[in-house]
Amino acid sequence: MNVRFLAALGSLTLCMTLAAPSVPVSADANVIVFGSPVSLTGALAKEGHLTQEGYNFWKTYINAHGGIKVGGKSYKVDIKYYDDESKNNTAQDLAERLIDQDHVNYILGPYGSGTSFTVAQLVERKKIPMVEGNGAAEKIFNQGFRYTFGVLSPAKRYLEGILDLTHSQKPAAQTVAITAASDAFSQEVAAGAAAFATAHGMRVVYNNKYPDTATDVSSIISALKATNPDVILNAGHLQDALLVHKGLKEQNVAAKAYGYSVGPDTPDFITALGKDANDVLGGAQWSDTVKYKADRPGFYDTAPEYARAFEAAYHHRPDYHNAESTAACLAFQYAIESAGTLDPEKVRDALAKLDVTTFYGIIKFDSRGLNVFKPMVTNQIQNGRLVTVWPRYTAVAKAVYPAPPWGQR
Amino acid sequence: MHLLAQDLVNGILAGGILAVVALGFSLVWGIMNIINLAHGAYIMLGAYATYELFTRLHVDPFLSLPISFVLLFTLGYLIQRFLINWVVRAPILASFLLTFGLSLLIVNIALIVWTSDTVGVTTSYSGANFTLATVTVPWVKLYTLIAALAITGIMQVWLTRSKTGRAIRATAMDIGAAQLSGVRVPQIFAIVYGLGAGLAGVAGTLISLSYPINPSMGDPFLIKAFVVCVLGGLGSVEGALIGGLTYGIIESFATQIDVTIGTQHISGSGLQDAIALVVLLIVLMVRPRGIVGRATA
Repeated sequence: MNVRFLAALGSLTLCMTLAAPSVPVSADANVIVFGSPVSLTGALAKEGHLTQEGYNFWKTYINAHGGIKVGGKSYKVDIKYYDDESKNNTAQDLAERLIDQDHVNYILGPYGSGTSFTVAQLVERKKIPMVEGNGAAEKIFNQGFRYTFGVLSPAKRYLEGILDLTHSQKPAAQTVAITAASDAFSQEVAAGAAAFATAHGMRVVYNNKYPDTATDVSSIISALKATNPDVILNAGHLQDALLVHKGLKEQNVAAKAYGYSVGPDTPDFITALGKDANDVLGGAQWSDTVKYKADRPGFYDTAPEYARAFEAAYHHRPDYHNAESTAACLAFQYAIESAGTLDPEKVRDALAKLDVTTFYGIIKFDSRGLNVFKPMVTNQIQNGRLVTVWPRYTAVAKAVYPAPPWGQR
Repeated sequence: MHLLAQDLVNGILAGGILAVVALGFSLVWGIMNIINLAHGAYIMLGAYATYELFTRLHVDPFLSLPISFVLLFTLGYLIQRFLINWVVRAPILASFLLTFGLSLLIVNIALIVWTSDTVGVTTSYSGANFTLATVTVPWVKLYTLIAALAITGIMQVWLTRSKTGRAIRATAMDIGAAQLSGVRVPQIFAIVYGLGAGLAGVAGTLISLSYPINPSMGDPFLIKAFVVCVLGGLGSVEGALIGGLTYGIIESFATQIDVTIGTQHISGSGLQDAIALVVLLIVLMVRPRGIVGRATA
């Protein structure tokens, strides 16, 4: 066996593992094909899978209920995925492949702000509309892009609810410490939280970032502990939430409230942390107890109906990543129906004019393509179960505040 | 002031883990001249082995250390014997490609077996800590450091005292001379690669106590192993240990840097990696063989 052969063997292994199982895109004229680069491996794999579930749930429903009606004709839907490995540039390359080689009609967004941003640049060049439900950084929407629409509330809102809640307690929380990963989304979340806290008379006593590849955050936690804050917030993703929360316990950092932008909503947070997960707060785009009612037919009308059907299909409660992903599909569904054609330009215009209330809340875009009209909710883990505690009009339980000391949860 | 003491402790505790992370990587690189890109994947497998033993059989993570080692050693030994052995003398690109492919393969199999769900090992004593003067020390991380030091100690003694250990060091110095003296080099290479994987498994076990487990968890550790090795000096136990501790302490102190130049606010904690790499660059300029590395011909 010679070296050249082995190099070839190596490359072959590489290619075989890189190429995701590929389902040929139907050339059927009666099928609308969506394409989505989504993170199935890498740091954001969990969130990527939740995104994919949200998309697939919609696809199954729509196909079982006659498809999308366009100008008197019914179309089935199909979604073609590629794994972007949680890498921004890979997501962009794959989106290009979906558009140029697989000739998909539209793009459904990837998971995360970094990937959504690179794909947004591409769809702009290709003039193919994208609706995304998982990139909340406003940076994506401040570039003057015309073809990217986001159904979620902007990143800066993620932790506002937790601050609002803790500041309305008696006695009110006064001081806040914020740690944030260095990616665009987390930085916007942190900046939004700091601005909100200051505007509401709270003092930000610690505000710092760490690299998003950090494997140890002990020293950040030591520095934060020295400021003795009432509220500890982390702007990041599931990995960050787990790392920081374990670190807080290890150094015995006692605060009145612990809040995370992403993490508490995914079931993994509870299974990985056990009792330590109790009383943790999380900002969420949606919860299965929100009280919206759809104002047009074509899908589940309310959040509980959606949640029941979803759980029957995937054996876990839908979290907000699932719901916002489904909502991205719904935006397309209603826009395509009202456009009455599959022409990308006309569908784009219909998206820009969309104004619909769904199980997920209002879907309506400002001139930048961002859904600033939908409020966020705040959830808390109580006895191992996620419940909505804020805002009051949609809360199903009273928030536990202040959080009991470590070891008593 | 007490924050500096706390940072030093944090740095040492984190550095101990990094030393074990880098140890196996360093041996394989230094002795076989293979940059083993599958190292991160082996770390991940070690963490999952611990997780499975912990959740299914309630085996304490520290007791699962030898099990992780044996499992990963066996896997590494077989992979070397039947796969890597073919590229040992090939240009580095071939081993690069092969180990990269292996890594992808293992991670993708892990995704099928364990899905992308993030899990954690949370023991009854996880999070427990004690305070020494003003410094808080988490027990788990202290045990981890002790285990890390013990492992590097055992490795050092074994490499210098045992017959196999001496054969390994002889092979690292001069393959030809070792062969002439009766060392069975392919066998030695398989043992070294097995050791590398076994030590990665041990590192995975130690990491699982404080770091979330999922199939792609090995990636950031692979990069750190690379830096730690070069920093400390290739192919030696003390190199990995000194490199790991140095890296941990630098990262820890970096979080204290807080400079405002004009309107630009620079926070060291966001630049931990960059600062550690600048230190690496300085070390490479002043002492290209690493802090305790020996010059080679």
